[in-house]
Amino acid sequence: MMDQVQKYHAKLIRQGLVDTQGAVELYGLDDEIYSNRDGVPEAVSALFGRLNINSLIIARPNPVQWAIIQELSRINQTLICPCDCESLTFIHDIPLVAHLEPSAVAQALNRRKGCIVKDVGIVTTGSVSLEQAFISLSSICFATFVKFFVDCLNGLTGFGARPEARSLDMLSSVMDTCRPLEGVNTLSRVVPKSEDAILESLDQTGKIVVDRRLVDSFFGNISYRDAGIIYISQTGSSLDELPGHIDRVPLDGSSTCELTASSELLAHVRVYEHTGDKAILHGHPRFSVIMSMHGKPLSFDEKRFVADVPVVAGEVGAGRHGLVHTLPAAMEQTHAAIVHGHGTFASSPGTVSEAFDALSAIEHLCYERYQSLMTKYA
Amino acid sequence: MDYALQVLYVDLSARTARQARLDTEISQRYLGGRGIAAYFLSRNATISALDPQAPLIFAAGALTGSRLPAAGRMIVAAISPLTDTLCSCSVGGTLARELRRAGIDMIMITGRSQSELVLRIEDGAVTFEESTCAASAGLEDIFSGFKGFKGAVAAVGRAAFQGCLYANIMVDSTFSSGRGGLGRVMAAKNLRALAVKGRSRTHVCDSQAEELSRTDIMRLFDAAPAIMGRSGIRNYGTGALVDLIAARRMMPTANFRRTYFEDSRAFCAARIKQSMEPGSYACHGCPIACKKKGLHEIPEYETLSHFGALNENSDLAAIIEANRICNSAGMDTITTAATIACLAEIRAERYTGAALVEKVAGIAEGTDELLPLGSARLAHAMGKPWTSMSVKALEMPAYDPRGAYGMALAYATSTRGACHLRAYPISHEILRKPVATDRFTFAGKARIIKIAEDLNAVVDSIGACKFAFLGASLEEYAKGFAAVTGLAYDTQDLMRIGDHIYTLERWINTQRGFSVKDDSLPERFFTEEGSSGAGIEIRPIDRAAFDEALQRYYRIRACGPDGAPTKRRREELGL
Repeated sequence: MMDQVQKYHAKLIRQGLVDTQGAVELYGLDDEIYSNRDGVPEAVSALFGRLNINSLIIARPNPVQWAIIQELSRINQTLICPCDCESLTFIHDIPLVAHLEPSAVAQALNRRKGCIVKDVGIVTTGSVSLEQAFISLSSICFATFVKFFVDCLNGLTGFGARPEARSLDMLSSVMDTCRPLEGVNTLSRVVPKSEDAILESLDQTGKIVVDRRLVDSFFGNISYRDAGIIYISQTGSSLDELPGHIDRVPLDGSSTCELTASSELLAHVRVYEHTGDKAILHGHPRFSVIMSMHGKPLSFDEKRFVADVPVVAGEVGAGRHGLVHTLPAAMEQTHAAIVHGHGTFASSPGTVSEAFDALSAIEHLCYERYQSLMTKYA
Repeated sequence: MDYALQVLYVDLSARTARQARLDTEISQRYLGGRGIAAYFLSRNATISALDPQAPLIFAAGALTGSRLPAAGRMIVAAISPLTDTLCSCSVGGTLARELRRAGIDMIMITGRSQSELVLRIEDGAVTFEESTCAASAGLEDIFSGFKGFKGAVAAVGRAAFQGCLYANIMVDSTFSSGRGGLGRVMAAKNLRALAVKGRSRTHVCDSQAEELSRTDIMRLFDAAPAIMGRSGIRNYGTGALVDLIAARRMMPTANFRRTYFEDSRAFCAARIKQSMEPGSYACHGCPIACKKKGLHEIPEYETLSHFGALNENSDLAAIIEANRICNSAGMDTITTAATIACLAEIRAERYTGAALVEKVAGIAEGTDELLPLGSARLAHAMGKPWTSMSVKALEMPAYDPRGAYGMALAYATSTRGACHLRAYPISHEILRKPVATDRFTFAGKARIIKIAEDLNAVVDSIGACKFAFLGASLEEYAKGFAAVTGLAYDTQDLMRIGDHIYTLERWINTQRGFSVKDDSLPERFFTEEGSSGAGIEIRPIDRAAFDEALQRYYRIRACGPDGAPTKRRREELGL
């Protein structure tokens, strides 16, 4: 249990979700409570007593993120309703609680996987492992960030209520710090010739995607196609921990081992069929998601563009309104597309490194677009 | 909200039936399905399984009849003649729906009829009809006898009347009560079939909120590869697990002497789909439709694996025929296959192909003396009790515990013997839902198993399907529950009820003499290696680590070191 505490403590800091060691408390419960802190506060014991859970995180996110959450909390008072697709699917809404008072927090966590406690931070839980609490925390950060920027943009450009001056001041003060991370792509550009080389390239790309913060918590997936096999990340795998978590999936569907493969496997299969490409990378770069939501909600059969990058609708998975029905055709010419409110898919005929370049470039483009729209309308 | 279950009390000895409204407090405390069944079984906890006064219970889930997806199941429960524990089985089909339409939430059947009966409940009337079934009739013929009947039917086959201790109860001819020999209990009451038809509609308190929950749940189903993915159970049925469990090197083979079967591709789902082109059908209100049928019923994963790998049999036609015979005679396929594998080990023989089918037919026809008693009694009678791969005399399903330590612990702590469904750790140890856990460690597993047991006690009480929880969670179903019933229960309220139900089940078993000595695994798993390979090492389970995890589980479950719920906990719950 202590291993999990240490692992997710380190991940929260490494991914920039929290700034300092002191800003986060992690608790794992088996028959006793394990924590990164000395001792267990009364409020935490009380929460474990009230909830049938085994994991709890209380964290104050990094200052920019926390400022955004506080601003949304001021506007929304009791409940924040995310607008992006993944958050709608997995966390539904985010309750706001006034104090870290066990009965009030427990009441919120009885309903949802996480909540925001005023002046304290985000509180999340898990009933299987600390990873759930980590994912919920990361998702709440992502959902609130996207909502704040989308609401401001759409409000300013006539697609929603005009933001208050206070919100705009806040936005302009954090805009620069939200710029996508820069860096040289050090990934190999040699087409992998063996299974080991394929796995190595997926591993390296997954790590750089996380390092550049182009993906939220564990969401996102990556694959490479070679000789009738798709090598694809498993469902719920962290892109920075891919070794041992890549499934080998025969393209012809002759094995059902793919049960544990990414929920977007079928979308990858269809994209390969449409593009003839070899590599696909899917991430959740924040400004790509935000810019995909600029304007009216997109109906299922609609398409629009951010610059020359298509934006299509579609839900997670292969259901009736799944992105599997919209994305592949959109990528046929451009080898990249943004799924409305969800994230970017990029493919390449050569290496995953090239797909990473495309994903990263789209995120920078979306950031620049956002900034110029703000300059124009604010 | 006035939430009170309607119970039909049937006395087969006196041939009387009386319907009554159950106390609101009891109804709200146990919800329906498995919860309310445990409550009624606890009122006479030490009765013998085949005592005429021992109750046989049919209880609909609380969400039955609603529009929530995969929530139309029910529970059949009794004391098991195979294990002597409490036994409750989740059953699909349309019986739960018809019960609710008839204005009944639960039927409690006691007594024993002098002659073989059909209990018919139709449009508010209860009738006791003499059964005209031939003693040797197959269940397909028995169900054909109800052809013009527009309701739902549950029936037992000849195995139950011949004394098979793992005879099951079949619903709508293809959904079975699975495990523990509840069919034998029904036959002991001389009840051949239960036929139910109703007309009323389920009242939903808040249809709008129900629809919102339905949408949330469906979106999560669509996002779950194990449900709606290309290889998900919607497409392939549970047979989709064959390749995966084989690849994880935890497919029980040769009566659990090995954990990898080289020929598993012979009965994998892709091959079945390609060669038999089966269609799908579903329980009432289920969009997953995991049941598959071509010319013949396609067996579920457990059946494929146990008639296949466990018996070292790669003859798919023999597996399908063995499954057909079990369904016709009304026998649990897991116990049937495992008992034959146990006999094979004792005799140092292999029963494959026609020999396997012959053995199954021998049980169905009542010509074999020991096989219908299950592996524990068979192995004991043949002087080799260690060859029975069972816990509390219930045979293990097709997940070798050396390949998933949460599963090992869950087999031991399950209240009905070696059951994979009470905690279903396969979801996180293999299928990575809701998140993946390390399958080769006991760290953290004690509480995970306890929480999952509580969760599934709720799932079985509201009538939901466990596969639904490979996508959705109780968070979504709790909202749906509140919308349908009007009871303002949230997730944790329901989890508290789950804890109560599970503790009650454990207390029933304690009163029946079960304790820590029974919460264990066959010795083989602590001493023999599995089939390592492909970079996966399958070691024997460390006994000390297992025992330590079990004691941790007891502390978390508020039980003493002997496994019994503590006095304090019993008093808190009013047990």
